[in-house]
Amino acid sequence: MINFDCSAPVRLKGVGDGFWITIDPLHPEDVLKSEIDKLFKNLKHLAVNASVVIDVGDAKGHDDLIENIKSYLKTEFEVAKVSIPPEKRSIPTEQTRQRDLSKGWNRHKSDVLMLRGRVRSGQKIESKKHIVIAGDVNPGSEISAGGDIIILGKLTGKVHAGCPDDEKAIIFALEFKPTQVKIGKIAAAGIEEEFSAKPEYACVEDDGIVVKDYMKENPFRKMPWLEVI
Amino acid sequence: MEGKVIVITSGKGGVGKTTATSCIGAALALEGKRVAIVDMDIGLRNLDVVMGLENRIVFNIVDVVLERCKISQAAIRDRRIENLFLIPASQSDNKDVLTTSGVERVADQLRKEFDFIIMDSPAGIERGFENSIVGANEAIVICTPDVSAVRDADRVIGLLYSRSLTPKLIVNRIEPARVERGEMLSHEDVLEVLSIDLAGLVPMDEHVLISSNTGTPLVLQNESTAGQAFKRIARRLNGEADLPVQVPVCKMSMWNKISRTFGLKR
Repeated sequence: MINFDCSAPVRLKGVGDGFWITIDPLHPEDVLKSEIDKLFKNLKHLAVNASVVIDVGDAKGHDDLIENIKSYLKTEFEVAKVSIPPEKRSIPTEQTRQRDLSKGWNRHKSDVLMLRGRVRSGQKIESKKHIVIAGDVNPGSEISAGGDIIILGKLTGKVHAGCPDDEKAIIFALEFKPTQVKIGKIAAAGIEEEFSAKPEYACVEDDGIVVKDYMKENPFRKMPWLEVI
Repeated sequence: MEGKVIVITSGKGGVGKTTATSCIGAALALEGKRVAIVDMDIGLRNLDVVMGLENRIVFNIVDVVLERCKISQAAIRDRRIENLFLIPASQSDNKDVLTTSGVERVADQLRKEFDFIIMDSPAGIERGFENSIVGANEAIVICTPDVSAVRDADRVIGLLYSRSLTPKLIVNRIEPARVERGEMLSHEDVLEVLSIDLAGLVPMDEHVLISSNTGTPLVLQNESTAGQAFKRIARRLNGEADLPVQVPVCKMSMWNKISRTFGLKR
């Protein structure tokens, strides 16, 4: 990673038990070496036996430059180990689908907190994950999730989905009578309705919270593909 | 055999903890058990007034816990009911004078001397509540059929569960006529929210106020419906676990009953 805002050819920072040197390979080798020399002279004995990572950023094909600096550091400052940064991994979308097709969820670590039983008044359940509760949520209790909240029972407590600012989260309950709902940063008070004992869910639409009948507008129906959450 | 410490608690105040404590204690004593009822509401004692034993107080529970006297000195024997003893609270102290370890030690001593020890917990969930449940083997939560009492009872049930006590529920002050008109929560509504075992249902009864003010035990009055309900609760606690729970019903005239059977009236 080259920071274009910073013109210094060599930058040094401490990582764990060693040092991380970011160099700009566009500069000539002797300039880089003199810069490194300056920085490492300041470190003095701290450089001895330290492990050093040399990072040339996104630039490629500077293996001989790295080799030169490596040997220079070892002879001049007696560092223990010089390496290059570990490669970052990224999973493209096709691979995700491939994984799901091949029942990848068997190996997937779940991002869902699933609880069974009754949430009582005064209890507060907080999680950065999605929350599924097989049971009732009593008035006076609070649930706060980073993702969706699914209640397989009667919801009469206070719920906050998509905490702190995910407005795509939904709140679903088999009996939807919360005292207060919040999705992301949008909050709404519950309404007293006696007749509704049907599965409903709340979601954000046009910067407001709307409650919909699950049977009429299934939020999952428009999803074409299985995905692990 | 060691006795059992049963704590009576509710969270909310004024739902009938003290009345229930005195009634259940007296009813268990009438069943022939050796019973101690302990007022844990330090600073706001009133169990002694309800029992009509105020003028005989010498020592109290604080003296027992702080080892200023023996249990036998503090326990006041009721003259009307055999085997019924009261350990009153202190009126002049603060709830903080008791320590949990001290209460636990006294609870252990009481278990050796009595069959049942009924503890009247103060309202709230602070220090006094903690002190009253620390030595308990069983817990009874009292709740009236109104929304705020149910909310508080729910909180208390959660706290009791977290201390591995599985409480039983008494729904107090049920007014069958108002339940029928839909003005009051029914015991089913309360149970739906709280979902714990029911110990009994107690109807609203005007005898309660009179007997509390005069200090006469409610369970000795046969015409008191609440007293009879508490007697059945005591029998359930005393081993008759499968004694059916009687749902309070309102007295209806013959004509109303007939017309309802034929669907003329709701």
